[in-house]
Amino acid sequence: MKKIFSSTLARGLLWQAVGWLVGALFITGIRALMGLQAIDASKFFFTEPAWVFGGLLGALFFIGGSGIVSDWFKWAKGEETSEHHEDPAGGEKYFNLSLDHKVIGIQYTLLALALFVIGGTFALIFRLELAHSGLQLLTLQWYNTLMSLHGILMIIGILLGVSGVINYLVPMLIGAQDMAFPRLNAFSYWVAVPGAVLLLSSLALGGFDTGWTGYPPLSARAPVGMQMFFLGVFVAGWSSILGALNVIASVIRMRAKGMTAFRMPILVWAAIATSLIALTATQLIGLSFQLVMFQRLLGMGFFDPAKGGNPVLFQHLFWFYSHPAVYVFVLPGLGVISELLPVFVRKPLFGYRWVAMSSLGIALVGFLVWAHHMFTSGMNDYLRVPFMYSTLLVAVPTGVKFFSWVATLWKGKIETPTPMLFVLGGIIVFLLGGLSGPPNATVATDLHLQDTYWIVGHFHDTIFGGYVFPFFAAIYYWFPKATGRRMNETLGKIHFWLMTPSFLVLTLFMMRIGLLGMRRRIADYDPALGFDWYQLIMTIAGFTIALSVLIFFINFFRSMKHGEKADGNIWNSRSPEWQVPSPMPVHNFDQPFEVVGEPYDYGLTDAPYIKFAKSTHK
Amino acid sequence: MAHLNKSDALRQGIIIFVFLAVLTALEFFIAVTLEAVALLVVVALVKAGLVLYYYMHIYKLSQEADDEDEDRHSLAYKTATNRLGLWLFLLSDSFVFGGLAVARFNLLGLTRPELNQLLGLAVTSVLLLSSFSMNRAEVSMEHGDRKNFLLFTVLTFLLGAGFVAGVVFVEWPTAIAEGVTPSANAAGAIFFMMTGMHAFHVLTGLIFLFVIWNNGRRGVYTQEKHWGVEAATVYWHFVDVVWIFFYPALYLIGKLI
Ligand SMILES: [Cu+2]
Repeated sequence: MKKIFSSTLARGLLWQAVGWLVGALFITGIRALMGLQAIDASKFFFTEPAWVFGGLLGALFFIGGSGIVSDWFKWAKGEETSEHHEDPAGGEKYFNLSLDHKVIGIQYTLLALALFVIGGTFALIFRLELAHSGLQLLTLQWYNTLMSLHGILMIIGILLGVSGVINYLVPMLIGAQDMAFPRLNAFSYWVAVPGAVLLLSSLALGGFDTGWTGYPPLSARAPVGMQMFFLGVFVAGWSSILGALNVIASVIRMRAKGMTAFRMPILVWAAIATSLIALTATQLIGLSFQLVMFQRLLGMGFFDPAKGGNPVLFQHLFWFYSHPAVYVFVLPGLGVISELLPVFVRKPLFGYRWVAMSSLGIALVGFLVWAHHMFTSGMNDYLRVPFMYSTLLVAVPTGVKFFSWVATLWKGKIETPTPMLFVLGGIIVFLLGGLSGPPNATVATDLHLQDTYWIVGHFHDTIFGGYVFPFFAAIYYWFPKATGRRMNETLGKIHFWLMTPSFLVLTLFMMRIGLLGMRRRIADYDPALGFDWYQLIMTIAGFTIALSVLIFFINFFRSMKHGEKADGNIWNSRSPEWQVPSPMPVHNFDQPFEVVGEPYDYGLTDAPYIKFAKSTHK
Repeated sequence: MAHLNKSDALRQGIIIFVFLAVLTALEFFIAVTLEAVALLVVVALVKAGLVLYYYMHIYKLSQEADDEDEDRHSLAYKTATNRLGLWLFLLSDSFVFGGLAVARFNLLGLTRPELNQLLGLAVTSVLLLSSFSMNRAEVSMEHGDRKNFLLFTVLTFLLGAGFVAGVVFVEWPTAIAEGVTPSANAAGAIFFMMTGMHAFHVLTGLIFLFVIWNNGRRGVYTQEKHWGVEAATVYWHFVDVVWIFFYPALYLIGKLI
């Protein structure tokens, strides 16, 4: 226990609290000296500028105080630092600063899982409220806050989960020892921690009622919690930006010999596509949130029509990131599907080049579609048409992936261990999400579907199919690589067979009542609509999903110590990371390897993908 | 260009500076005599291109990029990786400034707030001079001339500090006195946001300048090994490129409100 309290995490959190207090007192003092209002009882003691500055300083203190940037300070002073950094042996390394991409990948994954648990719990609470018409459990403000926080915590959690998978796998897949910039990699992870704390702190500061989109004018007058939401997303956004920078540089500069572009694993292609979006577009959500923060703090009228501002401008800046962001979520997931499918079908991946290019295609088209979220916003009517067509265009590269998956499955020897179940489930659910998309992209139908539960159902299908199912598949599949033990198959199958049907019921009902007129983001509905029993079943389905995830967690933590030993190539994969023993050695590959063939030539004899320089292991 | 000898490299820096200065004067002249938005955009693009190529050496990115057999632990290989990382960061950062420019044209269209023209031209000239002096500092280091490196780094620092002081302590109060305040209207808000975000970047650039001056003074850098100097230089010029676009966007383009 003592080790936990002296860990990087604990020290960081302590420093964050100190910084927060220092910053808030500093502003309060200055305001008192200037004769301004120094204390604001309606805003939880401190004034809003004091809360915001304190929050920012807290995040900086976390980074500075926990020693994450001390190597950079040494460099600035002209001192050399050691190239390698030894990690402690046990589980404590996950709570401490590490420069090893594998440790950081697992740190990301654990933080993501923690946020999923919190965000999921919020969803259960407000789902309980929705089970029956009328208000039983929550006030309107609490409903709005939990609904908004569910959205943003899941989104940040997914971004961190994506970084986890990419961080853990990409250096191994390209045959590198680590990422191009290990310290920046550690920084990218750790900056997300104070960001998550800031987001959660909004709960204690009055919450916020805008949903995760934070549109002004509502966000310009929501409680102080709104500012913590903006600040939290801004801080956590840096994790995404700098992580993406690292991935791109690593893939360009550190690939194994012979790994030309069209011999890279599909997951690496997906990581590049995802990172291009995260590197650039993330800045615009950060900017749009900063502008609202300044509007609230200094009365700057960017989005205030009374001062000549334009609220629709916020939506443009916001969606320029937030639409492509969904591709940040799903592209790595779709990459995982393409990566695992050939392994369990024992056949080459169909149309490798097309699949590789489709990830980039989705990412690039994704930059041109943002205003499909704004068909009812009051923007110029003529803009609707180009954005409708560009959005429908996304179906083309996405369709390429489906063709490839179906053709890969065709006449294959399909095995269905737990990871493959989640891959197949992901394909089916993502198909539902994909098919329910074009009606929202088409202006005529979207005018009716906008802001209904249909959208909620569509969105959850795309994200579960494109991210959550593949994420679970990836954990079941690579868990042995990280721990040397495998997760329990029976529990894994129970997880899958509980989660999938309940999830389908949940989202299909969402779409159904959405078409019948259920609005999204509201705490109550008219009993005369006849939705009560739909809502009750959806709530039961939601709790069943939670139960299945609980089983997953039991399996996950139990298998770390008691799982069946699995130190070899248990899936019979061609991928480089499985050609060395599990758990992965500290510096990945003792012998560098050379790529001599195609990555997915499963079922072909005499067609190796890689060759180690000298004798291979094992 | 590292292949040039020292006097050629210095001469090139001077020629580019003269071009930039003439283009800036031309820009100012275009704005006061005729309202030619397209022309102003072209001039800004040419200026940015000159800085990107001759001062920031963007072409270095494509050098030694796909040399597979190169020793990956060599200094040259690591420096090239660092360089790629820096440029990726600048790409990311430019989306912030791009977003601000979009906001400016969305909110104000082809109008602009009334600002003091001579002050605008003055701070722009100071920043341009600092870019020139930065270039001389880098060229000096590339040829192992530590004395001139230190001298020109200090000069760049002073010019940069002068720019920030000019914007924050002269230009802002002047604007406020003329009614352009952060909270008055959208035009004021966007003016303070754009200049503030830019000044913040100049301020971080000043910190980097201090770091390389301090390390240069203590002999950390050599003619062969001075990635820190290159990084600070490229960053400094990047901040100048941003101003190459922000200056006309705020001061020159559009009718007065
Ligand atoms: Cu979208």
